[in-house]
Amino acid sequence: MRLDTIQLRDVLPCVFRGAETEPPVSRSEIWLRDVTLSRGGVYMIEAESGTGKSSLCSYIYGNRGDYEGSILFNGRDIRSFSVKEWCDLRCRHIALLPQEMRLFPELTAMENIEIKNRLTSCKSREAILAMLDRLEIAHKADVVASRLSIGQQQRVAIVRALCQPFDFILLDEPVSHLDARNNGVVASLVAEEASSRGAGVIATSVGYAISLDVTGKYSL
Amino acid sequence: MKNMVWRLLRRNISAGQLAGYALANFVGLAIVLTALQFYRDVTTVWDDDDSFMTRDYTVVSHKVTGLGSLTGSSDGFSEGDIAGLGAQPWVRRVGAFTASAYNVSASVEMGGRGMSTALFFESIPDEFFDALPSDWTFDPSNPVIPVILSKDYLSLYNFGFASSRGLPQLSEAMIGMVPLRVSVSGNGRQQWFPARIVGFSSRLNTIAVPQQFMDWANARFGEGPVAEPSRLIVELSRPGDPAIKEYMDSHGYEMSGDNADNGKASYFLTVVTGVVVAVGAVISLLSFFILMLSIYLLLQKNRDKLHDLMLLGYSPAAVSRYYAIIVVAVNAVVLALSITAMLVGRAAWQSPLSRLGIDVSSPWMTILTGIVIMTVITAVNLAAIRRAMRRYF
Repeated sequence: MRLDTIQLRDVLPCVFRGAETEPPVSRSEIWLRDVTLSRGGVYMIEAESGTGKSSLCSYIYGNRGDYEGSILFNGRDIRSFSVKEWCDLRCRHIALLPQEMRLFPELTAMENIEIKNRLTSCKSREAILAMLDRLEIAHKADVVASRLSIGQQQRVAIVRALCQPFDFILLDEPVSHLDARNNGVVASLVAEEASSRGAGVIATSVGYAISLDVTGKYSL
Repeated sequence: MKNMVWRLLRRNISAGQLAGYALANFVGLAIVLTALQFYRDVTTVWDDDDSFMTRDYTVVSHKVTGLGSLTGSSDGFSEGDIAGLGAQPWVRRVGAFTASAYNVSASVEMGGRGMSTALFFESIPDEFFDALPSDWTFDPSNPVIPVILSKDYLSLYNFGFASSRGLPQLSEAMIGMVPLRVSVSGNGRQQWFPARIVGFSSRLNTIAVPQQFMDWANARFGEGPVAEPSRLIVELSRPGDPAIKEYMDSHGYEMSGDNADNGKASYFLTVVTGVVVAVGAVISLLSFFILMLSIYLLLQKNRDKLHDLMLLGYSPAAVSRYYAIIVVAVNAVVLALSITAMLVGRAAWQSPLSRLGIDVSSPWMTILTGIVIMTVITAVNLAAIRRAMRRYF
């Protein structure tokens, strides 16, 4: 199976119920609309804080279900997916970079990446080290995550998200803790990895966006 | 690689809680298994000494009073008596002894000496035997009479008669090979039959022949109407129930010999075992809850990690596997220790019991019981882990 389209149909977070006619919902290009995201596209979702970016990522990743409307993968409502199907989707079809990174603080940077990679057997250790090197944190590979700066953690989390086959990658504020130069490095790495898989990219930002060539832009 | 996940998940595992659970469940399970095994070993006394009948049977007769025999009043049971007894809640069913209405004498050749004695026969319905003795039939065209003797008669002969007369003592097996000739007479007829002793019973305090033979012989040799049965065989549903003795006393009935005492002793043993097993079971149950609480606490403490692992694509089954292994390992050790404790106990009471002439029974049933109990506990543990894990997905 290949995940070709993600379709949002009249999706509304439950917290916005009753506020459909007020901003931010009334202005939103996502909530209560019919939006189709295709494999291969690069989508930027721009929003202010508190408009539900992370919620949207969680909905698409099957992590939360507190929304109305429906989300369809290849036309099938994702509420019908079993736990087993979600595990498979998360290992092969959708990659996620959570905003809060969710690294395990007691594991080293390398272990945090390998704990994902051993599930997918996607990258060799050398390839992982090469990516870390490119993001200038190869020397931190054996440092436990709790000792890394937020910016370093963000780059480790990005590498971890890339260690799997995917049709879409969800990047929730991927560069919020990076400077402009690192932003560029991350952007080129993500673009390479996505295009080598023919995958789609869905990135969110609160104003400081990852420097990708965007095919579609939505404000939330 | 593998132990990366393990390293994450073993955080917050409380060795103290696990040890507490293991100890408590060990104590509980060991008590349950040991009590069960002891009960099984001790009750072999009642269960194994009679191959034809279990201890649930008892023989009931009227108390013999001097007065009754002098006045010649009937000591039989009327149909009303039988129905009254059958209606008691502790009675499963009642059968009547059929007495012989003809004369019987038996002669035996032993060591060149012939002995002859007047006898009587009685019979009980075949369905009151748990296991029918072999050849427990009678065929008039090839007449051989199978006989079951009371064990008491053999004891009387061996320890009373034989030892004082210098005759050989006989084992049960030897008796079966002694050729016996029985003369049955009455109603103007007389016939010789070969007879064979097919077994001994400690419950049937009589000389028993198959009902089939009794009916045939009573019709052929019997004189006069068949008398009311003087003894009844009763299958008890609650041997040892105090109500039984009350009823017997109030109606002037008597139960045969040591059965009632056996019944009482076994009743108390059952009660005591029940109490002990219940205590063990309660301890086991409480320890089971300790483990469940400990597991829930552990999962709760590791909730974020479990959730994050599942966000990475780990299945609930994969992450719960580590906890499942712990539970299975701890439970297996507890089971092994409990069985060992039971076996040690069994070895300890084996020699005093064997001095009483009791062969201890095989421990396999008890071991199997332990395995079943532990399997159930483990299955519930694993299901709880799996369910909690799915909630964190």
